Amino acid sequence: MDLPSGTRNYNYAEDMAIFRTKTHWFLLFALLVILFTAPLWFGNYWLSIANLIGITIIAVTGLNILTGYCGQLSIGHAGFMAVGAYTSVILTTRFNLPFLVGLICAGVMAGIIGMIFGIPSLRVKGFYLAISTIAAQAIIIWVIRGWTSVTGGYTGLEASPASIGNLILKSQTSEFFLILIITIIAIFAAKNLVRTRVGRAFVAIRDNDLAAEVMGINLFRYKLTAFFIGCFFAGIAGALLAHISRLASPEYFSFTNSVLYIGMIIIGGLGTTIGPIFGVIFFQLLNVLVTKLSPALQSAFPHLPGGFTSGIAPMLFGLAIILFLIFEPRGIAHRWQLFKSAYRFWPFSY
Amino acid sequence: MKTKRFSPVMAIVLAIILLVTPLLTSCGPKVADTTKVLKIGMMTPSTGPVPEKGIPGQHGIQDAMEYINNELGGAGGYKIQVSWRDSAYDPAKVATIIQDFINEGDILFTTHSSSEMKMAQGTANEAGFPGLATFISTMNLHPAKHIYGPTPDYGDDFVALIKYYMDNIWTGTGKPKVALHLLSGSVGAGTLDGANAMAEELGVEIVATEYHAINTTSEIESLTRIKAKSPDVLIISGVPASTAIIIENAKTLGMYPGTTIMCASASFTKSLVDTVTAQSGADAIEGVYGVFHTVSWEDDVPGIAKAKEYCMKNHPSDYGNMDYLSTWATCLTIREILETAVKNVGYDVLSKGNAAAWKAVEEQGIQKLKGYKVEGLQGGTITYTAGDNRLDKYLRMYKVSGGKITPLGKWEEAPLIKYTQYGDK
Repeated sequence: MDLPSGTRNYNYAEDMAIFRTKTHWFLLFALLVILFTAPLWFGNYWLSIANLIGITIIAVTGLNILTGYCGQLSIGHAGFMAVGAYTSVILTTRFNLPFLVGLICAGVMAGIIGMIFGIPSLRVKGFYLAISTIAAQAIIIWVIRGWTSVTGGYTGLEASPASIGNLILKSQTSEFFLILIITIIAIFAAKNLVRTRVGRAFVAIRDNDLAAEVMGINLFRYKLTAFFIGCFFAGIAGALLAHISRLASPEYFSFTNSVLYIGMIIIGGLGTTIGPIFGVIFFQLLNVLVTKLSPALQSAFPHLPGGFTSGIAPMLFGLAIILFLIFEPRGIAHRWQLFKSAYRFWPFSY
Repeated sequence: MKTKRFSPVMAIVLAIILLVTPLLTSCGPKVADTTKVLKIGMMTPSTGPVPEKGIPGQHGIQDAMEYINNELGGAGGYKIQVSWRDSAYDPAKVATIIQDFINEGDILFTTHSSSEMKMAQGTANEAGFPGLATFISTMNLHPAKHIYGPTPDYGDDFVALIKYYMDNIWTGTGKPKVALHLLSGSVGAGTLDGANAMAEELGVEIVATEYHAINTTSEIESLTRIKAKSPDVLIISGVPASTAIIIENAKTLGMYPGTTIMCASASFTKSLVDTVTAQSGADAIEGVYGVFHTVSWEDDVPGIAKAKEYCMKNHPSDYGNMDYLSTWATCLTIREILETAVKNVGYDVLSKGNAAAWKAVEEQGIQKLKGYKVEGLQGGTITYTAGDNRLDKYLRMYKVSGGKITPLGKWEEAPLIKYTQYGDK
């Protein structure tokens, strides 16, 4: 861990600590205070945006473990979210199981399905693996649409609000707290995972799978573990999305979303815990900005072709991906790292 | 070195996004504090996979509201302030837009498509926030809650198309064979619901049901399967772009002329005719039937004169477009709803933009509607009937003739169908 000038670790526990200095603890405390008091100054609209950001961070963090850390490119992540969404909704509405049981089962089921589709990863990689995960997306959505008696087909399934015991989480505020807590747990789990033996094995496989195998890493086992963990996160995110939308529908889990998630980790920074957070916030705020700006632009420039102004969002996002790939392939997370380094050495940052 | 030069630019872009977004939101509601207006939220899918529907719909809203506020004096003496949003046909975006409308204090909302409404209705029904979808499906209206249709639904489209076929085209014996080509989603599902509920009663046999994606590029394979069943009628329930592909492919396979092709309301508009004509010639779509819930642009009714005037002034390329006309008619219905609500409960209740205002709009506005003629733009009158959230129940058949969408005969009433799968009793 990078530490400020003059600070050094004297034992293993200090070396492993995520929050090491008083400044770290202060910033963490301030961030948590801001997050947990957000409903006091955010309206429902911004809470709904925050909820969407939180859910997407969970999904993209899972994708980052799979793609960013383990190097297994997946372009079917939205499909695994769909598995989680339908699992949770079916268990909670048809079998009347508690929401939390449904949520865990959603993650497990998505993880298992992810492992099945991850089996080809032992033999194929890169572009070919990407194609096989696209197939996963197509197959999952096809099954959901066709298996009408279970999934409701094109109509989808109505979902009940999330609940814990007798507490029904119906309002934006209560949903915000639920999603916030799960997001924090997901980020913390991801941060710790990559510091474990498993995480180091993932990184070794990503960097050179042949070398990793020679070192004694069981490629098949670890690749499938990465698929399970990555898809477990996707399943949790999908379940949360279904319960806050009160609907599980294939339209929420399109191929476009799977591609956008890849874009988010590229912009945020592949293979860093904070990268998905930056990437998701960047994309969602860009989306909000364009949604808010387009009516004003439409009025200001009435002779622009219809839909031009609101079409700016996908253009800007595409442009951002290209610019990041050219100028900053390590994403916003790297810029954040540079900023922190400059701060640590200030005023001697040069 | 390159990354260092890029750094300030990126920092500025990020800073602008982070700073301007909250500022834009905080600027919004201040307008309403100083002006007495009735605030509503309206969304169209102007980008995404169906701009050919969303953009004319958006223009219809802009022009109709200009007409309503400038010439009709708004509703009940108060101008209607529209918060328009582009949903991009994106479910996640729809969910946040609904919250935005609620947050702004809007007293009702509309979507252009049934798919947008499907994504919005969970939140809206739970909150009691009344909404209307210009194009509406069975799953939006059943069971009746807080979502309303200013027009009949896609299940009604199926019934109207088959009734016309049986009364005017079918000359054979026994049951005619019907094939369905449905857009995957709420549009196709609505038509399928109608078929499942009414096919037997109407005396037809459904021999094939195929689905297509909204961005389909070829349906040769599915149409080959349909052709093997030798259907008498092919009913297409999709959007203009997908329907155009199916009609062109049907002609390529030699199914048309021969099999009667009929289109549900979501696709039957000028852009369908234009697309097929541009790609395969006028012959490819000549004689195709369709059903719709408004008059045509050639009809001599008071509403058309105004729609034509504003359309030619502001958006001449939309002339002849049925999506434009549909949202124009929906805006007039909204005006009637708000005028009725203002008359019954007064402006002060509505201006609060809260749950009490939504209840007032629904119970003292929408549910008090009776006999409103929409300036002659729709077949029936806008009337609320308890347990039936379709405010208009009339459809009319059309046919593409000489490259134009031409009306056929009189308006047909669409009776209420009970859909038990949605909990109707």
